[in-house]
Amino acid sequence: MTPLHTADSQRPKSPALPGFGGCHRLLGRREWLSSFGMGLGGFALAEMLGRGGDALGADSGVLGGVHFPPKAKRVIFLFQSGGPSQLDLYDYKPLLIQKNGQQLPESVRSGQRLTGMSGNQSSIPLVGSPFGFSQHGQSGAWMSDLLPHTAKIADQLCFVRSMFTESINHGPGVTFMQSGSQIPGRPSIGAWLDYGLGTDNQDLPSFVVLVTKNKGGQPLMSHLWGAGFLPSRHQAVRFRSGGDPVLYVNNPAGVSVENRRQVLDGLRQLHEHQFAGTPDAEITARIANYELAFRMQSSVPEVVDLSDEPAHVLDAYGPDARDPGTFAANCVLARRLAERGVRFIQLYHQDWDHHSGLPNGIKRECQQTDQPAAALVEDLRARGMLDDTLVVWGGEFGRTNYCQGHLTPGLFGRDHHPRCFTIWMAGGGTKPGTTYGETCEYGYNIVKDGVHVHDFHATLLHLLGIDHERLTYKFQGRRYRLTDVHGKVVNGILA
Amino acid sequence: MCGSYPIQLSLFDGVRLPLMWYLMQSMRHLITCLAISGCFWLATGEAADPLPRISFNRDIRPILSENCFACHGPDGGKRQAGLRLDVRERSIEELESGATAIVPEDAATSELLTRVLAPDPDTVMPPPAAKIGRLSGEQVALLRRWIVEGAKYEPHWAFVPVTQVDVADVSTVALNAPAASDSTSPTAGNMSPIDRIVVSKLAKRGLKLQPQADLATLIRRATFDITGLPPTPAEVAAFIADSSPDAYGKLLDHLLASSRYGERMAADWMDLARYSDSYGFQVDHKRPMWPWRDWVISAFNRNLPWNDFATWQIAGDLLPQATDEQILATAFNRLHSQECEGGSVEEEYRVYAVNDRVTTFGTAFLGLTLECCRCHDHKFDPLSQREFYQFFAFFDDIDEAGLYSFFTPATPTPTLRLLDAKAVTALAQAEEGSAEAATQLAHAESLARDRVAEWIAGKAEMPPPLAIATSGNVSGEIARYSFDEREADGTFASLLDPDHPATSPTENTLVENTIDGRTGKAIQLTGDHPVQTPVGNFVRSHPFAVSLWLHVPDRADRAVVFHRSQAWTDAASRGYELLIDGGHLKWSLIHFWPGDAASVRVAEQLPVGKWVHVAVSSNGSSKASGLKIFVNGHVAATDVVRDSLTREITGGGGDHIRIGERMRDHGFKGGLVDDFRVFDRAISALEIRELAKQGTIEAAIADAEDAEMLGEFFASAFDESAAKQRKLLEAARLSHDALAEQSQEIMVMRELPEPRMAYLLDRGEYSMRGESVEPNTPAALPPFPVDQPRNRLGLARWLTHPDHPLLSRVTVNRVWQSLFGLGLVQSPEDLGSQSMRPEYPELLDWLAGNFSHAGDQGGWGWDMKRLIKTIMLSQTYRQRSIAEERVMADDPLNAWLARGPRYRLPAEMIRDGALAACGLLVEKMGGPPVNTYDIPESFKPEPAGTGESLYRRSLYTFWRRTGPAPVLESFDVPKRVVCVAKRDATNTPLHAFVLMNGPQFVEASRVLAEKLLIEFSGQADGMLERAFELLASRQPDDEEREILLRMYAEQLAWYQTHPEDATKLVAIGGTPAHQNPSAVDQAALAGVVNALMNYDGCVVKR
Repeated sequence: MTPLHTADSQRPKSPALPGFGGCHRLLGRREWLSSFGMGLGGFALAEMLGRGGDALGADSGVLGGVHFPPKAKRVIFLFQSGGPSQLDLYDYKPLLIQKNGQQLPESVRSGQRLTGMSGNQSSIPLVGSPFGFSQHGQSGAWMSDLLPHTAKIADQLCFVRSMFTESINHGPGVTFMQSGSQIPGRPSIGAWLDYGLGTDNQDLPSFVVLVTKNKGGQPLMSHLWGAGFLPSRHQAVRFRSGGDPVLYVNNPAGVSVENRRQVLDGLRQLHEHQFAGTPDAEITARIANYELAFRMQSSVPEVVDLSDEPAHVLDAYGPDARDPGTFAANCVLARRLAERGVRFIQLYHQDWDHHSGLPNGIKRECQQTDQPAAALVEDLRARGMLDDTLVVWGGEFGRTNYCQGHLTPGLFGRDHHPRCFTIWMAGGGTKPGTTYGETCEYGYNIVKDGVHVHDFHATLLHLLGIDHERLTYKFQGRRYRLTDVHGKVVNGILA
Repeated sequence: MCGSYPIQLSLFDGVRLPLMWYLMQSMRHLITCLAISGCFWLATGEAADPLPRISFNRDIRPILSENCFACHGPDGGKRQAGLRLDVRERSIEELESGATAIVPEDAATSELLTRVLAPDPDTVMPPPAAKIGRLSGEQVALLRRWIVEGAKYEPHWAFVPVTQVDVADVSTVALNAPAASDSTSPTAGNMSPIDRIVVSKLAKRGLKLQPQADLATLIRRATFDITGLPPTPAEVAAFIADSSPDAYGKLLDHLLASSRYGERMAADWMDLARYSDSYGFQVDHKRPMWPWRDWVISAFNRNLPWNDFATWQIAGDLLPQATDEQILATAFNRLHSQECEGGSVEEEYRVYAVNDRVTTFGTAFLGLTLECCRCHDHKFDPLSQREFYQFFAFFDDIDEAGLYSFFTPATPTPTLRLLDAKAVTALAQAEEGSAEAATQLAHAESLARDRVAEWIAGKAEMPPPLAIATSGNVSGEIARYSFDEREADGTFASLLDPDHPATSPTENTLVENTIDGRTGKAIQLTGDHPVQTPVGNFVRSHPFAVSLWLHVPDRADRAVVFHRSQAWTDAASRGYELLIDGGHLKWSLIHFWPGDAASVRVAEQLPVGKWVHVAVSSNGSSKASGLKIFVNGHVAATDVVRDSLTREITGGGGDHIRIGERMRDHGFKGGLVDDFRVFDRAISALEIRELAKQGTIEAAIADAEDAEMLGEFFASAFDESAAKQRKLLEAARLSHDALAEQSQEIMVMRELPEPRMAYLLDRGEYSMRGESVEPNTPAALPPFPVDQPRNRLGLARWLTHPDHPLLSRVTVNRVWQSLFGLGLVQSPEDLGSQSMRPEYPELLDWLAGNFSHAGDQGGWGWDMKRLIKTIMLSQTYRQRSIAEERVMADDPLNAWLARGPRYRLPAEMIRDGALAACGLLVEKMGGPPVNTYDIPESFKPEPAGTGESLYRRSLYTFWRRTGPAPVLESFDVPKRVVCVAKRDATNTPLHAFVLMNGPQFVEASRVLAEKLLIEFSGQADGMLERAFELLASRQPDDEEREILLRMYAEQLAWYQTHPEDATKLVAIGGTPAHQNPSAVDQAALAGVVNALMNYDGCVVKR
């Protein structure tokens, strides 16, 4: 790893002083590079300075370090796809119970666009949560009865009740939350981190995605964990719940480890011979990759094999923990990956999109996610890993305070609501036992400390020691960031 | 020194640019003369002259563009301190602050230098807040020298016309013969113009071209580059044996004549065109766009000139007498993602689609990143936001919906019907049959009307049926709901047929009629609850009519009165509907709204606050003229909204008439409906008047005055001959429509009769319309030709003018990239001011100038094959790909061209090459996409195909945007969500998994092993040598033979002791293994073959 890696290929990280004698030396190879005329894209420099080739080999990314001391070394993002109802989980609004069935006042809605799903409804009745709410822990955080396990770790959590976004539909909304843009094509958070910080593990990818199996609801798209315009090696490796956890990681039937080793040794001899006549670094990179692949063939199956987890640990994550591909099993796996230095572990749990039948639907999702998520936080804390592991729980937007479709007692749905929603974070330098931001008594508008998706991203990067304005990539003539041209760090949630 | 541009006009000055453009044309020869003196592009020799004169484009523009233009550039909206640095006149003028940024020849008083050197963070530029750091000392020194030398500006190189480079003069530069002196080395004699340019520049670096690659490497390189497949061992041997001087040229001709060429070239173009077999976004249904892909293959294979290739795709539909093929080509503009997620805003996605067309046009044809200007003026290039929307105005004039249909498989309009000759004939015959039947009916009706006229004139008896015609008895009625009473079970009985009640939630209430003298009850609608009837699933050829009373509480912008359809946008309104639209009644039959529909709208507003009798009918003609609306018994004057119905209106769900509500649409909130009646014939005007006012028919007959109305009534309701002809016509239309339904459709471009008004969208938001804009091209580029229409065709003519500075450069640059792995300009998607200046601009221009100019001007007339052959004939291309270690290290990307091309093969070539080498490749061209072994492993899995589907070339693999084939994705194919001009070429461990463990490659290895075992009777030397030849296209050397033999011996030993493993291995894949040779032999050899598939010599082009 050379210290020349900077997000910006044109100049060293520390400001050069007038006189620039020292600078000259430092530029070295860059001197001739810039003699082409135009600046180099970050990609080009990284390729030239030798990173191209060993995609998963240990390195410290294009930043060559962090901008300031990080609080978090890794992130586990428990993404709840579909838009969980903040009003039935975290954002307690007794007024809605009082006004149940009454029309949403125009003064509250104030021209907000509604989705095409409920926007043409002739009637938009408010609906109060049918679930009981109470306060928990020293911090007194409000939570509904649907979350008994999360309630127990209330004092570990940092709630943001004032998240807001720009999209009213799932595809753009999830894409925005994961990449800072509603339109597919930008790098996802994990890809930015891999690009910026590299990897700490020689045998595993630094960005892993786990999707709860057999879930309906709004579909996910692989661009959500894609590299966008960054080199494709920064995209996530999605571990699958059935078959090979990584595409074709296992030897085919009839090929044993010993046999594979023999073939690889032969292949290596061919490559070494080739290199002797054709001294090209591409060939040495290939040799290294085949060795890494061989190591991954044991490290990947090893990490996904939960059989060495003690019973009491699995029990803590709940009854699903022994069933691979469930949210509970994925939470256990997330912890194992975190232990092994995987930097960004992205879980997806679908089916929070409760346009109708919300009471039953949300109960089901809570049953599947409440205990595992809480257990994960506790497990990390018990292992001393919570301090430098950031856990995030949240979806792409919130849900409306009014009913979509017909309001009948005990049965209702809520439409998409971008203006406010709740997420929580734990560990990784966030302030435990905090509730940040506030919504109006109708639960419709933010009245205090709004946090835009870009702000959330800026804060996440900040916790990892990155100035979000300085992790950039030049593409099509423009320097891009995760936060586009926006975003400010939310200091109020930092420990 | 003539390195600075001969004309010192600002390129960014919109007023003067056209003048400059023409001036440039006329000065072409002068420029040529200047250029050939060897220094126009070649600038200065870095090696020879330690302090060359500064070139603005080479030395200064990059610094200013990277560090300054964001705040002091073209974007007027973000400009700071009034300073503009991209235009000389502006940069040297005194600022409000009193300072002057640039004082030519006076570095000391130039504020620019003071500020970039300022130690104080408050004054230094760029400001610390910009977080781009300070300028380097070297950059400051360049700026200083540039100012001292007079601060001369040059227009950005890519925006000025291509310079004709006279390469003969390049030869005046001493030719440095390459190191080796064998016959394959470049000499003055065998050097092409390309080589002259490269050699002269290399010489300044003290470098030479490498010797030619050995012949086996060369034929492998050339064969992959042109066909995407490896050469066979026989082809390699024949080429090596051919000692004729033009052996290589013959090889290229042979390869370029192969139909595999089109398949190889199409793959690159499909990335640019963002081709996929699915719509994209979240739901990502499949969509058949492959006929366009097959057109691309065929266009490459017959070498359609590139200007036509571009023109047809941009505007084929607008060409005079456009052929189906030319229209099909325009599907290029419809390959963007499309959305159907419930509740999406249609206009938002329509704007998205048009934006995507514009940015794809920009990337693919102009090499400009127009995306920036969607929200604001470009920060670096002289392109304004307004100019973006001027492009937008070219691409938004089609009758499209922003969303595709979730509930139906309808092809989003506009579409092209894909018909073979047989279908064309059959449809024409069916149309003729319908027309003939329509004539017969008209004749019969005319005779019937004559009978009535003669009776009224007193010349004949009253036709007998009229004598018994009574009021209140209109034939063909199939349902009638009076809404006077709710049954005990909550339903509404049909007065004609108690078995067919209508249903409604109780929220829709019955109200006592108290207005306008109407009696009984009516139903009042909430807008959110439908009245559901059990009737009304009419095909479009079936005449029908609906009559009802309605009462509108207020003027509705949009309200659904009744309809037969599943939903609004989610089903593209498939079916028929009576709406109140802006207060007017609108009656429509719809296959896909808006482009495939017949629709009429009443000119006058519907009265509010009173009961109105409304009837609508369709005569089965599928034409707007066959749709009628009657208000209070009188036919209403209507405007035609759409008249383009070509397909069926049934299907998609929602088969029966529903009143007052529709999924995700605006219901008839507060509206009253009464006496709802449905007829399965298009009842006559008199009958409708009867429904509006009882007794009308009897009165009309008694009066015996209105011959026209009575005649129509008689012909419609009673005349047997007309009735018979009507049935025949309906049958003829039905069979015609069935034929029309069978034909496949594809999305294309078709201009609206009246162009849509385009608007500047503030911050790019679809809902924030600003001023209107007209179609036009940016001021910084050549002016729009005065003799061309302001539509896509004019745009294509503008683009393909031989002197356009961008199309030819962008195209030859991408071709260069596809052959060398790196473009002459390294950012093929951006030739703007943020692009890296090319190492060989004169080479780019020599190729571009020849490519775009016609033969009589000494050029190649947009001949793609000729362009490719010319590049591949050069010694530059033919060099071996390894150079001295220092050169490899100093120029890792090979921008200098001091060695031949080398890069990891693209995904398709790796898979296709392995299949070809193993004899499994099925070379069948075109057709629907196929599912390969890895599709079940995709993020959006589907079952794998069987048989030949598994072995087709990779460009036919099913492409789902949200989860492309994982094997191809492993090797860096883009998802094709947006236009991509350059792929990654990573080298990762995941490749090892695919190539060693993926069933495609495991199977191919053992199929080849089996073949070799039979062919060589198990003789190891021969088998291994042939395997190596097939996969690496050369013979192994002695050491390689030894390694292979050792590997084979090891594998054999292994499987002999593990025969059960061998049995398992050979069972992988859809091609069955034979008993002989034995599984052990097959598995052992397969192990070695598979290792070779992973070998550098197989996956890397060298």
